[in-house]
Amino acid sequence: MIEVQHLTKRYGPFTAVDDVSFRVEQGEILGFLGPNGAGKTTTMRVLTGYMPATEGAATVAGYDVFAAPIEAKRRTGYLPETPPLYPDMTVREYLTFVAKLKLPASVTKAERVSRIDAVMAKTRVADMANRHCTKLSKGYKQRVGLAQALIHDPEVLILDEPTAGLDPKQIIETRDLIRSLAGDHTVILSTHILPEVSQTCQRVVIINRGRVVAIDTPDNLTRQLKGSATLYVQVDTAGADAAAALSGLSGVRLVSELDRHEQAVGFEISAEADRDVRRDVARLVVDKGWGLLEMRPLRLSLEDIFLQLTTDESAKPSASDAPVVTQAPPDPTPGDGAQSAPESEQPHA
Amino acid sequence: MRNVLTIAGKELRGFFVSPMGWVIMGLFALLFGYFFMAHLTYFVQQSMQAQGGGPININQFMIRPLLQNVALINLFLLPMITMRAYAEEKRSGTIELLLTSPVTDLEIILGKFLGAIGFYAALLAVTMLYIGILFAFGNPEWRPVLTGYFGLLLMGGCFLSVGLFISSTTKNQVVAGAATFVVFLLLWIISWLGQSAGPAMASVLDYLSIVWHFDDFGKGVIDTKHVIYYLSFITFGLFLTMKSVDTERWRG
Repeated sequence: MIEVQHLTKRYGPFTAVDDVSFRVEQGEILGFLGPNGAGKTTTMRVLTGYMPATEGAATVAGYDVFAAPIEAKRRTGYLPETPPLYPDMTVREYLTFVAKLKLPASVTKAERVSRIDAVMAKTRVADMANRHCTKLSKGYKQRVGLAQALIHDPEVLILDEPTAGLDPKQIIETRDLIRSLAGDHTVILSTHILPEVSQTCQRVVIINRGRVVAIDTPDNLTRQLKGSATLYVQVDTAGADAAAALSGLSGVRLVSELDRHEQAVGFEISAEADRDVRRDVARLVVDKGWGLLEMRPLRLSLEDIFLQLTTDESAKPSASDAPVVTQAPPDPTPGDGAQSAPESEQPHA
Repeated sequence: MRNVLTIAGKELRGFFVSPMGWVIMGLFALLFGYFFMAHLTYFVQQSMQAQGGGPININQFMIRPLLQNVALINLFLLPMITMRAYAEEKRSGTIELLLTSPVTDLEIILGKFLGAIGFYAALLAVTMLYIGILFAFGNPEWRPVLTGYFGLLLMGGCFLSVGLFISSTTKNQVVAGAATFVVFLLLWIISWLGQSAGPAMASVLDYLSIVWHFDDFGKGVIDTKHVIYYLSFITFGLFLTMKSVDTERWRG
């Protein structure tokens, strides 16, 4: 539905987007994740035809955004970071104006009015229909912006930080709305809020300094990087030698003390790759006569992955870690963080 | 064409729902009213003195100089019409809506130009009330009045196309307004240089001056030379606007 190939955008000497490639299948919600200034907005602006790319190609709903911009725009709904509202228009006047611009000429006035009513109901702005846009709260502005993007029932929706500045209840409502749109629409949404991605998106593109550093499902990303290889174990009445005893188990790579409350001590245990050490750990605890309070696999949150991938110091995963990109797009051209196949594992001739 | 009209309608509406449009209209009427009074008083004095030779021509001594004064009002007020056109859309981000809608740059520009000239026509319509008074109490010829207004519309179009171009280069309304005013003024006074530049140069500079071309319209003459000058000027202004919008796109 959306295909981006080797997209590069330079502003003078500054490269905002550097050789980005990805594709989005029909009905999918793709999360676009990255720190501020990573190139999310620029990529979206290129996709919506707001600005041309320096190099590369992008296709939306089968139309090249550079060669056939009008056709592509007809099939794209775009919500910019700040909703593009005219302050002196009421919500209904505004949506009427947008509808006239975006709906094909064949649509009659009655159809247009019913379309506007339907979109206002869907985005729950109908009660503000006659209020001026400037007098709307942030949440309503955002929803009117969304209504504007939906007005021509586009195949592709591109939403730039759709939940920014909303209160928690509005954020949940907006996410539900976006989720309900998937299927009929193909959605790209950008955010720097991580839970949003895991809750809304089927796939994530992590972008940093204009480069794609990872493309995968949120679950895979979370599992892949460290996954079940790390355990959290909390025991009490353990002696000072507990850490050493745990380290002595076969398959355990690293033991570190995470927390300590009176008698209870919590350890993070890293196992070697593909080793399940839970049974051995449990047996050891019982043999030693400690009390086992808690044992659970430690998963890296998306936050940790994000920081690992986008912070230079930890950009390169250690040798035992699996590659980040598991579902490779046609030509993912992964950035630093994803070039993770360690040389040591590749047999040299 | 439908898109052009949609955008023109939005622009025109913008003038009438904000106080700005009414303020401009009020100021325009005020200034025109002042000139009207001044010319009328002068005309009455003149016709008193000329009693021996019969009544003097109201078209020539009253309406023509009055319409020429509209050029002066335009100089000050038309920058206020166009300064918002692009600058405000860029500042508020609504330009993203226009540029990502299925409309071409040309349609947006023509729509904005049409909206601006529509509002200018409304300003001129207000001044027709004053001229109507002359028709009620005297019997001026209507044809030179009509050509005069036609000329004013064309002249205003030139100012507005330049204003649109300048507005498309900045986010700041005040900068757009001030720069537009300065450019208008230069286009007006460019012929002054001619007096010291020799006859050949003088005729070139005269030709470039927007106001010089208006003279014949005031006399009741529609000369294609002037119409073509105005139309090509407008086309050039809109062409520059288009290039500027395109450049902005590349720069982001």
